[in-house]
Amino acid sequence: MPSFVSAGWAVAHHTNNPDPLLLAIWLLPLAGALVLWAFGPQLRRGAGPLATAVVAACFVLTLLDAHVAFGSPLYANGVGLGNGVPLGSWTGGFTFGLFWDPLALLWTLIITGVGGLIHLYSIGYMAGDRASARFFAYLNFFVFAMLTLVLSDNFVGLLIGWGLVGLASYFLIGFWFFKPTAVAAARKAFVINVVGDVGLMLAIFVMFAYTGSVTYLEVFGRAPTLPHGVVLLICVGLFVACAAKSAQLPLHTWLPDAMEGPTPVSALIHAATMVTAGVYLIARCAPLWDSSPEARALVGTIGALTALTGALLGIAQWDIKRILAYSTMSQIGYMIMGVGVGAYQAGILHFFTHAFFKALLFLGAGLVIHELHDEQDVRKMGGLWKRTPVAFAAIAIGTLSIIGFPGFAGFFSKDAVIYGTLDRGHPALYAIAVLTAGITAYYMFRLLFVTFFGTYRGDVPDADLGVPARPQSEAHADHHAAPRWLMEAPVILLMIPSVIAGYVAIGGAGSTWWKFFTYDFSTRIDLGSGPAISETVSTLVVLAVVAVGVGVAYLRYGTAGARSGAVERLRLEGARIPQPFARAFYFDDLIDALIVRPARALGLAFARFVDPHVLDAAVTDVARFAGLLGRELRGIQTGLVRAYAFVIVGCAVVFIAYFAFAGFAR
Amino acid sequence: MTPMPVDVSNYVGLSAVIFFIGVAGVLARRNPLIVLMSIELMFNAANLALVAFARLWQNNAGHIFAFLVITVAAAEAAIGLAIVVAVFRRSKNVDVDEVAGLRG
Repeated sequence: MPSFVSAGWAVAHHTNNPDPLLLAIWLLPLAGALVLWAFGPQLRRGAGPLATAVVAACFVLTLLDAHVAFGSPLYANGVGLGNGVPLGSWTGGFTFGLFWDPLALLWTLIITGVGGLIHLYSIGYMAGDRASARFFAYLNFFVFAMLTLVLSDNFVGLLIGWGLVGLASYFLIGFWFFKPTAVAAARKAFVINVVGDVGLMLAIFVMFAYTGSVTYLEVFGRAPTLPHGVVLLICVGLFVACAAKSAQLPLHTWLPDAMEGPTPVSALIHAATMVTAGVYLIARCAPLWDSSPEARALVGTIGALTALTGALLGIAQWDIKRILAYSTMSQIGYMIMGVGVGAYQAGILHFFTHAFFKALLFLGAGLVIHELHDEQDVRKMGGLWKRTPVAFAAIAIGTLSIIGFPGFAGFFSKDAVIYGTLDRGHPALYAIAVLTAGITAYYMFRLLFVTFFGTYRGDVPDADLGVPARPQSEAHADHHAAPRWLMEAPVILLMIPSVIAGYVAIGGAGSTWWKFFTYDFSTRIDLGSGPAISETVSTLVVLAVVAVGVGVAYLRYGTAGARSGAVERLRLEGARIPQPFARAFYFDDLIDALIVRPARALGLAFARFVDPHVLDAAVTDVARFAGLLGRELRGIQTGLVRAYAFVIVGCAVVFIAYFAFAGFAR
Repeated sequence: MTPMPVDVSNYVGLSAVIFFIGVAGVLARRNPLIVLMSIELMFNAANLALVAFARLWQNNAGHIFAFLVITVAAAEAAIGLAIVVAVFRRSKNVDVDEVAGLRG
């Protein structure tokens, strides 16, 4: 690839020695899923440990193989699997392979590492569920799909992985298929994700039309020579995919609903890994974004608005998982904003730390939900710190991390992202990011105070709290089928990286973290006069805003007075939630009015007019004509043998007469 | 003295007469046994014509074909009689006009 050599990229692409360890990492989860699908009923209680062992093995193999990827430049280490595989009409063929570079390594570590812990947790969480083998088959399948997504060295492999993670997500959101809400949520998630898949596909079509290739390296190599509008078009297509997968405005509405799935699923797919695929895609396609300032502005702006919207909506939720879902949306907004403006290392770092602390938060919430027999409304909780100390510790550490308390993982990554926006010349985005940090602190401490402090309100009648009556669920009748430590062990393990994961970035641009991604991401587009304030000042500003958020949350929910009158206060607050917040800023209504209703009207029009009067009519008319013909002609079938014989003889006579006379006349 | 050769037209004429007797029997009679016998008459009329023409053209194909017709006639008689017996057992009648179960 001459263009890369000229661009100064060290490219040793597609070595002919496929890395067996990498292949094992990639394919083991698929094998696990197939075994679990085929022999699930026979495995019974063995299903969970088997699935966990598979992912744990992948994690160990990743660590063993890490030295290959670690320290190598981005895009440098490719493993060819198939050269010249025909791709439709493209006679030149298509080269399929895997990347094993720092970016792929980082994502693989999170997918298999955090994924393994969540598998372990699921053994306990799903112990009472009869279909747990199916659950673990889906989980392993998800891990395989996600690895396909991050390891592929071309856009087609990426698209396959992109679609498969959506499918896995659909399976797992709708895992409890007897709950109509879960089925509706699964369908919604799938449909919105397909919108993203179409965007990705259109981007691939455009890049193939203009570069004649779908592999990352060749597309990136030709990106600088492409017309400006074409690069922008590709970037917009890719960003539609990112927005759908990573819950960015206005395609985010599926994420809160996706909380209908089992809590480990929310932790793995809808917090730590799948929803960050958009961040991965933008980081992976950095050369494209580097060639298009407009695309950067678009992505940065949408990311910032998503961060703000998610945080604002997080204030007004009562379901513990929906609070965390909106917080996930908000944090991914941060990441997208980071990679969007070009602060790639910061955005990736935030993905890295977020995977730990958000998984920790979800798993902690899962412990609470499990303890309270599927109660998810925080109004029915309160005072739980004594009853579920591990969950309390998990959510407390997760909260400190997410709000960016100094020393915790989130502090490093969030600050880097926030400062990155200013550093890259986007003061407006910086202001939004700082504001969002304050709101994040508020709603997370609200969650912490309402859930774990005060007195337990589970025995208070629903009406006194303004809680809608909950339909009795039979999701898992047997709540304590597994020992408690089985669920608590992974949570405790996740606490460690939730605190220390950020230390990799100490030292800023001089740190190992920055050097980890050795492709020079620092192609700065325009810096003007440089940031107005230094990073230290910025950190102090953020901390001040965060302190205000925590303070407001304390005054409203944490003081002794607020705790004692909690029942009345929460009932009033629930009744007074402003309409825009209660209806999630009308995004669902907007999509309903703009897309769902016109589509339904079109469908109804077809069902009422085109179908019966055109399509069905053609079919029924053929049948009716055949029937008419039969009715008219049945009269000649008299059933009398002699009548038939007479017709035969008569015809023979006519025949012979014809040949005897007319034949001779000729 | 050698026998006087008979002109082939006589054979064909006899064949035609026999054939039309058969046709008339099939069309006019209602007893299934008579109908079957009439059909046999038509077969044999055809056989006579085949053999006569074979002789005229000095070609053995006609003879061979006559044997084939005899075989088919035998098979037809067997199946026909079996059907007649089966119908008789069911409906106790021997009138082909009464057996009209296939009327449309």
